Amino acid sequence: MILEDKTQNLLRSGHSACAGCGLAIGMKLVLQAMGPKTIAVIVPSCEGAIGGVYPNTSYGVPTFHSAFEIAAPTAAGISNALKILGREDIQVVAFAGDGGTFDIGLQSLSGVAKNNDDILYVCLDNEAYMNTGIQVSSATPSFAWTGTTPRGNPSRKKNIMEIMAAHYNPYSATATIGFPQDLRQKIIKAKGIRGTKFIHLLVPCPTGWRTPSDISPELSILAVETKVFPLYEIEDGRRFTINYEPRALPVQEYLLRQGRFKHLTQQQIQKIQMDVDEEWDKLKDKAYRFSGKRKRGAQ
Amino acid sequence: MKDFITGNEAVAHAVKLCRTPLIAAYPITPQTGIYEKLSEWEASGQIKGIMMRTESEHSAMASCISASLTGVRTFTATSSQGLALMHEMLHFAAGCRVPVVMANVNRLLAAPWGFWADQLDSLSQRDTGWIQFYCENGQEALDTVIQSYKIAEQVYLPAMVCLEAFFVSHFMEPVEIPEQEKVDLFLPPLDLPHKFDIEKPGFFVPVVPSQLYRKYKHMAQVSMDSVKDIAIKVDQEFKRIFGRGYGIVEPIMIEDAEVVIVTAGSITSTARVAIQSLREKGERVGLLKIRLFRPFPVEAIKDSLKGKMKIAVIDRNISLGGGGIFCQELRAGMVHSSDHPLIYSYIAGVGGTDVTPEVIEKISSDALRRNKPEDLPIWVMEG
Amino acid sequence: MRAHLENYYETAIPISYGSTEVFETGRWSFQKPFTRFKVAPCQEACPAGIDIPQFLFFVNEGMMEEALLTILRENPLPGVCGRVCFHPCEADCNRAQYDESVSIQALERYASDLVPNGLSIKTRVDPSSKRVAIVGAGPAGLSCAYFLSLLGHRVTIFEATREPGGVMRWGIPEYRLPKSILKREIQRILTLPIEIKTGVMVGRDIPFEELEGYDATFLSPGAGINISLAIRGDDLPGVLMGGEFLRRINSDKRISVGKETIVIGGGNTAIDVARSVLRLGSKIVVVYRRTRDEMPALPDEIFEAEEEGVQFEFLAQPVEISLAHRKRLAIKFQKMKLKGLDQKGRRRAVPLKGDFFILKADQLIVAIGEKADLSWVPKNYIRKGFIDFHPSPKVYAGGDAIDQPHTIVNAIASGKRAAISMDLFFQGESNEDLTSRIGVGSKGSISLESYLFWKEKGQWPEPKEVVSYPLINTLYFSQSRRVQIRRRPLEKRIRSFLEVNPGLKPNQARFSASRCFSCGTCNYCYNCYFFCPEGAVTLDPDRRVRNVDFQHCKGCGTCVKACPRNVIEMRMDL
Repeated sequence: MILEDKTQNLLRSGHSACAGCGLAIGMKLVLQAMGPKTIAVIVPSCEGAIGGVYPNTSYGVPTFHSAFEIAAPTAAGISNALKILGREDIQVVAFAGDGGTFDIGLQSLSGVAKNNDDILYVCLDNEAYMNTGIQVSSATPSFAWTGTTPRGNPSRKKNIMEIMAAHYNPYSATATIGFPQDLRQKIIKAKGIRGTKFIHLLVPCPTGWRTPSDISPELSILAVETKVFPLYEIEDGRRFTINYEPRALPVQEYLLRQGRFKHLTQQQIQKIQMDVDEEWDKLKDKAYRFSGKRKRGAQ
Repeated sequence: MKDFITGNEAVAHAVKLCRTPLIAAYPITPQTGIYEKLSEWEASGQIKGIMMRTESEHSAMASCISASLTGVRTFTATSSQGLALMHEMLHFAAGCRVPVVMANVNRLLAAPWGFWADQLDSLSQRDTGWIQFYCENGQEALDTVIQSYKIAEQVYLPAMVCLEAFFVSHFMEPVEIPEQEKVDLFLPPLDLPHKFDIEKPGFFVPVVPSQLYRKYKHMAQVSMDSVKDIAIKVDQEFKRIFGRGYGIVEPIMIEDAEVVIVTAGSITSTARVAIQSLREKGERVGLLKIRLFRPFPVEAIKDSLKGKMKIAVIDRNISLGGGGIFCQELRAGMVHSSDHPLIYSYIAGVGGTDVTPEVIEKISSDALRRNKPEDLPIWVMEG
Repeated sequence: MRAHLENYYETAIPISYGSTEVFETGRWSFQKPFTRFKVAPCQEACPAGIDIPQFLFFVNEGMMEEALLTILRENPLPGVCGRVCFHPCEADCNRAQYDESVSIQALERYASDLVPNGLSIKTRVDPSSKRVAIVGAGPAGLSCAYFLSLLGHRVTIFEATREPGGVMRWGIPEYRLPKSILKREIQRILTLPIEIKTGVMVGRDIPFEELEGYDATFLSPGAGINISLAIRGDDLPGVLMGGEFLRRINSDKRISVGKETIVIGGGNTAIDVARSVLRLGSKIVVVYRRTRDEMPALPDEIFEAEEEGVQFEFLAQPVEISLAHRKRLAIKFQKMKLKGLDQKGRRRAVPLKGDFFILKADQLIVAIGEKADLSWVPKNYIRKGFIDFHPSPKVYAGGDAIDQPHTIVNAIASGKRAAISMDLFFQGESNEDLTSRIGVGSKGSISLESYLFWKEKGQWPEPKEVVSYPLINTLYFSQSRRVQIRRRPLEKRIRSFLEVNPGLKPNQARFSASRCFSCGTCNYCYNCYFFCPEGAVTLDPDRRVRNVDFQHCKGCGTCVKACPRNVIEMRMDL
């Protein structure tokens, strides 16, 4: 396929992300889809490290390095100011990690979503506090190793999409770097919607996931194909659409390629599989309810 | 036009007159009156702009900072616990050099709980890099908000206008509301040089090396110091246009005073009455009102107190293990003055307790009686 | 009033306006990704060595002219092969191991049919241009002439019949290969500097020795002699030879058939005859001595024949033909059974002793094989009934007259091999070992493209490995079925010689091309570009360039793994 539009690289080379960083891929793809008429907000995280030390930066759009827990209201402030200035042609995107979204930034994100301020919020989910050196967050999956869960994470990953849906915000979607066209389409769709848009973007982290540096996109595809991370979108908190029918590979195919899961017992894998299947069934129910199609046979 | 209104309403009037288009706020007693009044005017279209009803004071400040950096004038109001929650963002605002103006209704900090006047909430934020004004009444609060924009937008530092809970925020007084045209003349539109620019993409406030951090702190300190002069000029200009001026400090009947009482905020009004009555009794008592607390106007204070023997500072706050905060600042400021006045420290009005003219008279005579001040503050337990 | 800040204007806070591109993060690693195209199994399996992934890329992009030119670099007859080739490419397609093979043949035809006439083909200008004589204008002869012309030589073809095309002209019925298509293909070849003398049979109209006046000669007379049954009664009126029958059909001669016909044989000729007879209104039974599974005819052909109503009788061999009532023939068949394997590894058919049966028919058509008429060829050129590929220094041979599978694409391949061999011979270079120098994989096909690379650069191209299925990252492909072949409705088919298969529709073609894994060939899927965390990969499809900025490539290897078609590999950075 030959790309029609010559996309601009708005995440410049020479940044200091680890080799094979999924988050850098994610930010690059999102910024590409956003285009140069964008103001970005980032928070202290790997995004800050990637941004570069003064006076050089990798960000090709105006970017504000705000505080950890306030990506959303910071972006909302900019967005509202732009509205006041009559510059609604400029869009605002907030980037925060899973810690900055699922944990410390959840309250402020909720406030912005409630007000339906016009921002695109992208949660770069690498499933732990990676910038501080791999500590557990509420986005860390069950049984995963982190520096603060040396025997495996005893909690389940929070369902951030359901939390967002409960705000009835116009658009929330999951996406991952392994499906760049899907991601691009979602960003472009979000750009066309006024209000709080939320993208839950899974970005594998070779350092924190204990994986080789060359399989971040592949892992993200496996996350989808195993139904661990389905690709779907929610409109107005009610209309669920599954964007991709996974191959339903067994979860091991995803888990066992990562060092953070290498200690898993057969029972733990089974538990994860059960959780994944259950979540998938719930999601399918919602999607079918919206589409009006009858539930397909057990599959 | 004169109106009979509360201090909170007076503040709201000022924000409206300054045409502040972005207001972000969160309710907290006793500030809520400001938030409600502005919401009412936003709903009726009397103010043009956007009211961000955030989920916390912390987010309100975050939004004010980023909106400022986008190039619009911003305002928020809070009090006590809300201000404490904002703490991280107060530093951030000063570090981002944004001219956010905030009204803080001085209320005690829990625990235990209470809603009453106490200056500790804002004084605890002394080191965040905000300009701080303490106002005596609703009129002054209104005028100071307008002045604060003019000052903040010249030095690129945020400004906090403090008014005490209930005594100022809720008491109704006749307040002169300036004409819009005059305010427009006085306060030009915001033109922030460091704002987001699509044509010239920059990464705002990145990680900097140690030497640069020091450089930017030093630059901020230079700007903060300049506020003392700028505030005086702005106040003089204000006086020319609106007929009211306050100075950054206000000496009252100080020339022949044997003891000078130092106050900030609403106690000043009571003190004005008290020294009048003391003067009538033949006591040579003067008064110094400190209006600008950050930057601390050491020069103006020294100038006013030159040659005075005794100074009695009344603090409606307490820094536990230290003392009254105004007194500490004053003592520290006067330490290099040649005539070394004796500085007495009184803690009065903490927790919103009443500081009556009698209490002030008592403090005055106590200071006159004592040969030398105690190191520790004297707590006034009446009222 | 801003005087105090004048010096700090715009720098009241730190804002980074510089770029991180000044940091050479590429120094973090000593490994770097390199692009190296490889050979797809389909390409290796194609006797003509067509660059299939490349042409499918163009089809997918809608760049049909480029697609056709890509095919024409290695095969001058895409319209023919797109219809009648036995398409070994599809059998070896990696995608067949994933879901179903790519419809390569249909797409070859699509590209060929869609491009209007007048496509200009570039030929080399060779100052030491030579003269070559070619005997026979069938696929081998035309192919040899074509490639020699591309290399800058002048060719004269001697064709015994009145029109060029050989088996394509005379041996394949219209419903499989319309004459208009063939004509177009041959015309395209003959726009090149090629002289053709039709109606001239070497050995009859001119002596063989006349060819010795040329710098080289290519012998491709085809297999024009039908093998007869050699049983009693095979000379009875009503017994026809398959090749002859097809030649008459293809000569627009009115031909009448009886009500019932029997065809003997199991190859494509037998099926062609049977389906043609059917279209002329006769009932038809094909008798083959083995079973359906052993039939050498193309499975699709057998399927279509069955669909149209051709009946089959398996495990039977004619032993005697006699005249029956009303000039009908009575054919006595020996029942056969399968037992063991013959030398070629096929199941052997052996008689079931004493088990015979008789079928009656108005006519019997024998289609059990053809061989070449070599009466005019010097005896020392011939071995075991075939001409040697290279019987003397100046002489090459190809097509069905040499010992190779009797297919059009093999004929084309032999023509190409001979043309390149001659060109090397003219330059005094060795023409041994072509497969290892310019081979496409290791199954024997060679590439003109690679040969031209040598002619221009003076060095043989780097050998390319074949991309096997395990090297394909199938995670990047979702499963899909290939487009089902469309066929005209039966009632229309059996009453005319209209082409049975109308070809792919544009959307089907695009979809079919998009199914290609493009093994070993970059098709601009952009994975390497999308997935490079450094933004170090740039692609320019217009100029067919893929660049990696080594100053910033950290050598993470993501692009290598993310290339589903095995085009990128890591090497130590020197």
